[in-house]
Amino acid sequence: MKTNYKILFACFSLIFVACQTDIEYETLNRNPKDPSVVPYATLFTSASKSLVDEMVTTNYNTSIYKFLAQYWAQTTYTDESNYEVQNRNISRNHWSEMYTDVLFDFKDAKERAINGTSVNKVGEEAQITVLEVYAWQNLVDTFGNVPYTEALNPKENILPAYDDAATIYTDLMIRLDTAISQLGSAPGGFTKADLIYGGDLAAWSKFANSLKLRLAMRLSDVNPSVSKAAAEQAVAAGVFTSNADNTTLQYLGAPPNTNPIWVSIVQSGRKDYVASNTMIDHMNALSDPRLDNFFKDKVNGAYLGGPYGATNTYGKYSHINAQILAPDFEGTLIDFVEVSFLQAEAAERGYSITGTAEQHYNNGIESSILYWGGSASDVTSYMANPDVAYTTASGDWKEKIAMQFWIGMYNRGCEGWNVWRKFDSPQLNIPVASQRPIPTRYTYPIVEQNLNEANRSSAASAIGGDEQTTKIFWDVN
Amino acid sequence: MKKIYFLLSFLLCVQFALAQKTISGSVADDQGLPLPGATLVEDGTDNGTLTDFDGNFTITIAEDSSVTISFIGYESLTLNSDSDFSSISLNQSNELEEVIVTSLGISRDKKSLGYSVSTVKGDDIAAVKDTNFLTSMQGKVAGLNIKSTGGFGGSANVIIRGNSSLYGNNQALFIVDGTPITNEINNSNGGGRGGYDFGNGAMDINPDDIDTVSVLKGAAATALYGSRGSNGVIVITTKKGSGTEDGFGVTINSSFTSGNINLDTAPKYQNEYGGGYGAYYDGPGAGFFLYDVDGNGTDDITSPFTEDASFGTRFNPANPDLAYQWDSQWPQLANYKKATPYLAAPNTPNDLYQTASTFINSVSIQDGNENGNFRIGFTNLDSEGIVPNSKLKRNTISFNSSYNITDRFKASASVNLIKTDGKGRNGTGYDSRNLLQSHRQWWQVNVDPVEQIRVYQEHKENMTWNSYSWDDTDPIYFDNIGWTLFENFETDTKTRYYGNANLFYEFNDWINVLAQVSFDTSDSLIEERINVGSVDVSNYSRINRTRSEFNYNVRVNFKKNFNEISLNGNIGANLREQNYSSIGASTNGGLNIRGLYTLANSANAPLAPSEYTAQNMVDGVFANVSAGYDNTYFLEASLRRDRSSTLPITGNKFVYPSVSGTMVFSEIINLDFLTFGKIRANYAEVGNDTNPYNVFSSYNLGDPFDGNGLASNPSAFNNLGLKAEITKSTEFGIEASLFDSRVTLDASYYNQRTEDLLTPVDVSTATGVAAKWLNAGSIENKGIELMLSVIPIRTQDFSWNISGTWSNNKSEVLELAEGLETLQLGAFQGGVSIHAVPGEAYGAIRGRGFQRNSAGVKLLTDENPNGASYGPAFLRTDLNNEIIGNQTPDWNAGIRNMFNYKNISFSFLIDIQEGGDFFSLDTYYGFATGIYDRSAGLNELDNPIRDRVANGGGVLLDGVYADGSRPTARTEHHNYRNPYGYKTGIQEQHVWDASYVKLREIRLSYGIPTSVFGGLVNSATLSVIGKNLWIISKNSPYSDPEFGLSAGNITGYQSGAPLGVKEIGASLKLQF
Repeated sequence: MKTNYKILFACFSLIFVACQTDIEYETLNRNPKDPSVVPYATLFTSASKSLVDEMVTTNYNTSIYKFLAQYWAQTTYTDESNYEVQNRNISRNHWSEMYTDVLFDFKDAKERAINGTSVNKVGEEAQITVLEVYAWQNLVDTFGNVPYTEALNPKENILPAYDDAATIYTDLMIRLDTAISQLGSAPGGFTKADLIYGGDLAAWSKFANSLKLRLAMRLSDVNPSVSKAAAEQAVAAGVFTSNADNTTLQYLGAPPNTNPIWVSIVQSGRKDYVASNTMIDHMNALSDPRLDNFFKDKVNGAYLGGPYGATNTYGKYSHINAQILAPDFEGTLIDFVEVSFLQAEAAERGYSITGTAEQHYNNGIESSILYWGGSASDVTSYMANPDVAYTTASGDWKEKIAMQFWIGMYNRGCEGWNVWRKFDSPQLNIPVASQRPIPTRYTYPIVEQNLNEANRSSAASAIGGDEQTTKIFWDVN
Repeated sequence: MKKIYFLLSFLLCVQFALAQKTISGSVADDQGLPLPGATLVEDGTDNGTLTDFDGNFTITIAEDSSVTISFIGYESLTLNSDSDFSSISLNQSNELEEVIVTSLGISRDKKSLGYSVSTVKGDDIAAVKDTNFLTSMQGKVAGLNIKSTGGFGGSANVIIRGNSSLYGNNQALFIVDGTPITNEINNSNGGGRGGYDFGNGAMDINPDDIDTVSVLKGAAATALYGSRGSNGVIVITTKKGSGTEDGFGVTINSSFTSGNINLDTAPKYQNEYGGGYGAYYDGPGAGFFLYDVDGNGTDDITSPFTEDASFGTRFNPANPDLAYQWDSQWPQLANYKKATPYLAAPNTPNDLYQTASTFINSVSIQDGNENGNFRIGFTNLDSEGIVPNSKLKRNTISFNSSYNITDRFKASASVNLIKTDGKGRNGTGYDSRNLLQSHRQWWQVNVDPVEQIRVYQEHKENMTWNSYSWDDTDPIYFDNIGWTLFENFETDTKTRYYGNANLFYEFNDWINVLAQVSFDTSDSLIEERINVGSVDVSNYSRINRTRSEFNYNVRVNFKKNFNEISLNGNIGANLREQNYSSIGASTNGGLNIRGLYTLANSANAPLAPSEYTAQNMVDGVFANVSAGYDNTYFLEASLRRDRSSTLPITGNKFVYPSVSGTMVFSEIINLDFLTFGKIRANYAEVGNDTNPYNVFSSYNLGDPFDGNGLASNPSAFNNLGLKAEITKSTEFGIEASLFDSRVTLDASYYNQRTEDLLTPVDVSTATGVAAKWLNAGSIENKGIELMLSVIPIRTQDFSWNISGTWSNNKSEVLELAEGLETLQLGAFQGGVSIHAVPGEAYGAIRGRGFQRNSAGVKLLTDENPNGASYGPAFLRTDLNNEIIGNQTPDWNAGIRNMFNYKNISFSFLIDIQEGGDFFSLDTYYGFATGIYDRSAGLNELDNPIRDRVANGGGVLLDGVYADGSRPTARTEHHNYRNPYGYKTGIQEQHVWDASYVKLREIRLSYGIPTSVFGGLVNSATLSVIGKNLWIISKNSPYSDPEFGLSAGNITGYQSGAPLGVKEIGASLKLQF
């Protein structure tokens, strides 16, 4: 029998030798290839880049801002330029990117900064806040009411309620003011990890005030007193004064850190876009020198845009110029051109800021032409065009500002669309194929109907219906 | 006697024997009817014969030997050489007395089992061979739902009794000779947008090596396998060397199958209208592009090259327009700068497919004596698919052996080596490397696909049909078809080893111990290519994967009888260790040198490869005891405790019991017609864990930017509070055999409930994450399974056997964790998503539906979303999350008829699915691009539906207005904004009923009399087989409703669905 027990013992020891403790088991369940802790600066860098990518991209799965502003037209597949945003889940993709890759990582970085011990943590917190406000404003401007106070908390709340858009704006102003004051006093912030200003907090202050000016001017029709006060504060505190102040991310020459426009147009080899007749016709009418910078390939000696919303043969129309298609072309969040036109509006509305509407209008045009590589003489001759000169251009002040503001926002489709929504000008076209009205917002992602329907539907009724033609609260005209 | 074995050229063996005698006689059944084709084999030799038509035989055997007489369906009989052979009588065997291999390889008397087991014989599978043997089991077992995804070398879903887990693996566990075999689904991407289907793990099992397959359904049968048994277990026993003296034998098996596309599963193209999305271009019929091709200053008409649709101008066969078409663009081609008649091409995409072929050749040798036995098998599979340049090769070497060290001590081992090489698998889903994506969704019918391939093969250039323009031949959306197939193909290779080593020791005649180590490891390499000059950025990517699983088992078994009481059971322990690692690298931003596929050819410095590694362990201890009384009453109970490394310490241990009872009522009730009968009942629980890394959070690293690190939160939010999910099942069943076994019946009712479903629940991304790991709710599967076998005719020469299976599985989501309204299983292109919704069966398809009146008739509106000028439109629902279908079928059935006449047998199997739906992205887009036959033709006025309504064209929609009136105006059907394509935004329009009736299998076998071979061969069987020859009925157009993207939990979605293949083949099996 002794042999028997030996065999039995040998057999069972096979198992027990191989067995491990609970703690060892738990160790197996920690991924050795993905970090459980990272420097929070890497979250900040990642979220900043995601934000700029998302604002810059023209990938028709994510962003149709260039069609909302009608700068470009499409060739074979025309759903997007005909404002069918749900077929490719465009609103879902934009929404998800902003919440998960931008705001959630910013929130995580910020909590770690605040709870950390860095001497620069106040500045870091402020840098994060400014970009967060930028992202939240974009979400509100795109959708209207969105989850805000209950958002970004997957541990506690997987059914976040939607907040009122105007209330979110109010809170964004408060957060931005806090950040502005922090930026003024902080010894430093993110430096190397700051892909935008490399840690220059003075530049961040100008960015924050320029963003505050943007928020303020959005409210000019619905809440003039708040708008005036905030705009005046922002300008007094110091907004952008030249293109050198612009909030930009310098992309690199090789993938994967190239400009997303290069990825979706050049690298993919696709020829899905041509200039739109909306843009070309307006610019031709003004003999705009920027045509040579924005587009290439004249047709019969002149730039020609494809009818907006129609099926267009690629070879028949003018195309996007190489400057925009360079892999290392910078991506811009806000620039002096925009700040100039915002101030022009403020001046027209009688806000107490330095400079006249005309000065700011001229600054906007000049800085835009120069940014795109035009010369001083281009500026001079363009300004001399009576259809451009502020005093002689046609229309009321809104129409004058809107036309040049819209052209100046050419590579920032979202702001181009905002100009049209705010000023109801310039005249855009109804897309040829669908004849649908130009959207004034994105409808909520379809998945919200499945995953958060009670909150989505109450938001839908709060804003007047989950339609593409429902207006954002500040778009009252 | 002397006998020469002759085997191909690799084996020659001569044996001599001495004194012989010749005997003769006849064999009959217990009614006295002669049994033709009964086999007589001299024991310990391969000497044997068959009885003739009248049951008579003559055989020469050695003196003092013995002969075994056997016939299928009858109990074998062994007689000494000096017995009386003149009239031998065989008794019918009772199939329910069969011995079943159950949990952990323990053989059990089937009548004592308290749960449902079905067995399929290896010959039933191996006779009709396929690259994936699982498809040969379709329709043969009630409750076993095997769904092929249709792709060449692709995967098959193996689901027993419905999906019990929402997210996790629902595939049955495979056990081969005690070795758990992973049945992972290998799809390189998924989600409906590309990737390849590399099949499922269990398809590596070689059908020629299979002796029997037992399907253990329900939790009770599987409790002893631990967590992974919760989806049911398929236990495969492979062939072994015989343990008798001089059992040397050789088996050769050769089969050839050829396949051709089943046109019932292919698109039917219209041939009246050319390329374009509508007639709004230039030239005649506004269906052309204009270029001055010949340089004479006037524009010429060309094909609308860029347009991948067929809603263009009407062909004019009587007097065709002459247009510069795709083949006029390349100087190398005969039609360069030549305008040719613009007509429907003579070939459609259905004509580019070739005849598929599969050769499977195997040889095995076996031998054994009182000290041990062995079997060596080698199988070579060589297959080409219907898609040109698709190939699959598989070589399998198997070896198993056992050796008796002493009377009480036995050692055995088995090793299997499988080397699989795949090439040119067709892509899946919405991807340019899936030919069917183009040919079902985007196509110009004026393009000849066969000519496309021909010009590629002649010039090796990407001569696309879909260029930018006449003067720019770069591909815009689609490459040349030949280019796609012969340049941008994948290759894959996998080497897999599995097997086990066992020691078995008998302490005495009632207690023994078994120690076993089993392993299953594989290494694979997948390489994907996109050549320079393709639509997509040129690329080379490779991924190396290694996986391994080791199981360590120790089990003490006991078996003892006390008078009428029989007692057996075991206690044991098991440790499972699984390792997985992969590294994948890709070129960055394209290739420099055309056709060179190496990372060094990357246009930019390649990015860091992506790495993954994981190890998980589960240990378990278990005990099982079964008691029987008087061969009539049986009671069994088991208990198991598992500990898993994938769950947090707070919830990593889980205990689950099972209990089952059986009563053989035929021992109690004596009825003349009742041969055998039993009832059974059981209750069981099985715990289940999850995959590694769902508990602790970690970050994803991004590609560094200019020296800065990037990190981001992952898309799924992990959960420190996870615990095991538990499946609780109850089952009742009855088995009976009546009228001398001419009627056998097996019926089961089961109710299976899985609680605390471990699921990454899709949540609103406003939470910051796309999903959150939760114990999310519970799901119930209940159903009835019936198997009925009847032998209406059984005479001496002829028998007819009908066997049928029927099962329905109702799955219903019972409840969800607090705050959840639905569990989204997937959201897909086309605006549909698939869900588990409380109160609904698993797999509800959601999207925008039709609005209907109370009578269910579709409602119409004059507010056409394409513009009022288009005429009436279907009224669609406001929301996009209406339930518009469900992927779960109502029931499945299989009916098999088998006829035996002497040594000829003929059988056919009809496989039926009733109900279930799928959404087709193919018709969603294809109806808008005008490629299908139904997008052309005439309306009720006999005018072309593509004519403008003003000219009498258009279509009258099948619906009514809210006031009940029928439409008087027709709706425009002249371009892609027609009322049937995706432009209506109504997903319900593309939800199709997945019901089908298929002639799954038809087989004719002929047992060749051994006399033909002059006594060299012991048995020879020739079979002719046909598979999937006929879809007798289906309710969905253009595709096989069975097919999906890949095996997995989502079956209700087709995009670029594979084509069905009709296969016919022949096989020859020789035993020496």
